[in-house]
Amino acid sequence: MSLISIRNVQKSYRLDKTDTPALIDVNIDILAGERVCLMGPSGSGKSTLLNLIGCIDSPSSGSVVVNGADTRTLGDARLSEFRNRTMGFIFQSFNLIPVLSVFENVEYPLLLQKVPARERKARVRSLLERVGLAEYLGRSPENLSGGQRQRVSIARALVGKPQLVIADEPTASLDHVTGNSIMQLMVEMNETEGATLIFSTHDPAVSCYAKRIVRMTDGRIAEDGSAA
Amino acid sequence: MKTVAMAWRNLFRQKRRTLITLSALIIGLCGLVIFQGYIGSLMRGFRDSTIRSGIGHLQIAASSGYFEDGEFNPFAFQLKDAETIIEGLEKDPEVQAVFPSTGFTAVAGMGEKSVTLLMKGYPAERMYFTPAAGTPASGTPTAPQDRFTLGTMTAGALAGAGQRDRIVLGETAARILGAAPGSVITLMAVLPEGGLNGRDFTVSGIYKAPGRDKIFAFTDYDTAMDFTRLAAAPVIHVLAKDIQAAGAAAARLPHGVAVRTWHDLATYFVQVNTMFAGFLNVIRAIILLVTLFILANTMNRIVRERMREWGTLRAVGTKKSTVLFLVVLEGCFLGTAGAVLGIALGFGVSFLINQAGGLPFVTDGQRLAIKILMSGQSVWLNLIPAAVVGALASFLPGLRAVRLTPSECLRQV
Repeated sequence: MSLISIRNVQKSYRLDKTDTPALIDVNIDILAGERVCLMGPSGSGKSTLLNLIGCIDSPSSGSVVVNGADTRTLGDARLSEFRNRTMGFIFQSFNLIPVLSVFENVEYPLLLQKVPARERKARVRSLLERVGLAEYLGRSPENLSGGQRQRVSIARALVGKPQLVIADEPTASLDHVTGNSIMQLMVEMNETEGATLIFSTHDPAVSCYAKRIVRMTDGRIAEDGSAA
Repeated sequence: MKTVAMAWRNLFRQKRRTLITLSALIIGLCGLVIFQGYIGSLMRGFRDSTIRSGIGHLQIAASSGYFEDGEFNPFAFQLKDAETIIEGLEKDPEVQAVFPSTGFTAVAGMGEKSVTLLMKGYPAERMYFTPAAGTPASGTPTAPQDRFTLGTMTAGALAGAGQRDRIVLGETAARILGAAPGSVITLMAVLPEGGLNGRDFTVSGIYKAPGRDKIFAFTDYDTAMDFTRLAAAPVIHVLAKDIQAAGAAAARLPHGVAVRTWHDLATYFVQVNTMFAGFLNVIRAIILLVTLFILANTMNRIVRERMREWGTLRAVGTKKSTVLFLVVLEGCFLGTAGAVLGIALGFGVSFLINQAGGLPFVTDGQRLAIKILMSGQSVWLNLIPAAVVGALASFLPGLRAVRLTPSECLRQV
């Protein structure tokens, strides 16, 4: 059974009183545990599709079913809870909360899940150890390098044991070497945690970390197949 | 949850902007705290002098009618159990002094001149007149606390205990009559049965009290009771150890008597106090209104700058209501921080002013130095509204933070 099922999805944005299509008649199924890369040039609709899969935006028409739940039927509060328990997000600009320490940033999704303190702290410590940041628990994200921040972001995305991890251009703000190490870490997490990983990139070198590559052009899926 | 900690820490992200935003509130509240303390000190002095100028903390009469039209027509309001009530109150630890008084209307004549007087009779040991040379150092009265201070003695003196048929005349009444200490004047008053009584009184002293010294004159209680042929005191005055003690003493009074507190009787003080309180509230409202607009402007900027943060929080599962709460709480903290700094600065400046001797105040030709009152009331009266204004100012910006979808927030640069 598909973890994600997208049917006849259209998404358009209203710019200067005209509707600009971002996604046109998109259909795709993604199975649990898959590692999928969305590739395409800027404006091809990668981020829009990731936003719809991540339930942080809604389609203009069509249906997005994630883990058996039709996202159109969920109210905002339910959707927030659904995102918190089902998904983890990794952003291009890391998007860590600057007033929270490394530990607190990773801990935050577990606070929303109301995980007991002892278990919460153990899970955060364990995950930060795995991403190599055990020494940086009390640091502010502002005192970390880009690669370290993205590692914190990965830990935050995985700490809630999500079924789905969504990464929008996770290496775009990093140099080549750091980007590779981040991708290796994400692949390792995908294999050990079993969470489905969907990431977008326009860098062919990054796409090789995926098992399945979906190429997008002008808001449509142009090609969908296994990685070479 | 982390929401409170995040809201608090957010205050320190742009310290300079936070301080500039709060400067209006800090300066405004600092000034208000000083002004409020100055007025508070003046009003406290005014309250205490009002209580000790013939009212007392409590008055006890036979019926409530006394307080309407019995003060100078006491014949219908004699308090039969006056002695018992006085004995009971004297044992009350909250009571400083308890004594009866009476009053009557009289015509005073001397030679060809006459004036109408409102006579008050208090026990001699419960009357006090400030010596003409005496100038209290501040708004707090320096007169003895167990008696009434009825004015400033400008000539002569209060009659000693046991000296009967003596009168202390007001300066204006004495001038009209041409009386001086040692002069003999004739008082005529109506008795309960309708007859007239007349008696010669020796002027023992002349007092000054603006607005009162034309009409009020004083004699000792025994003389007044004897002259009016009253069998029992119409009213008992209670001077308590302090304002709070007055309430406790009132609660222990026997049933079947009419009791009025100083607050019921000091109508002029209450009016002036209410006027000043209203004036201070208007100033406070203006300061808070200005703060509301400044804070709302700052919170708008903060919300716009942190759009991606709101998007991130929502993406990881934070509910809209929690994000709204976070923004409102930050505004609330901002208002509270401004109020705390403003109040602290106000108290600091007040302390320095008090150390330097206080602020000047001139009354009846006397130059007083008023110490600025630093009360807990200044804290909550300014702190709570400032916190509420902070929350209100951030509510609309907060709604803006949650109006967009998380993806729209994340797209903002």
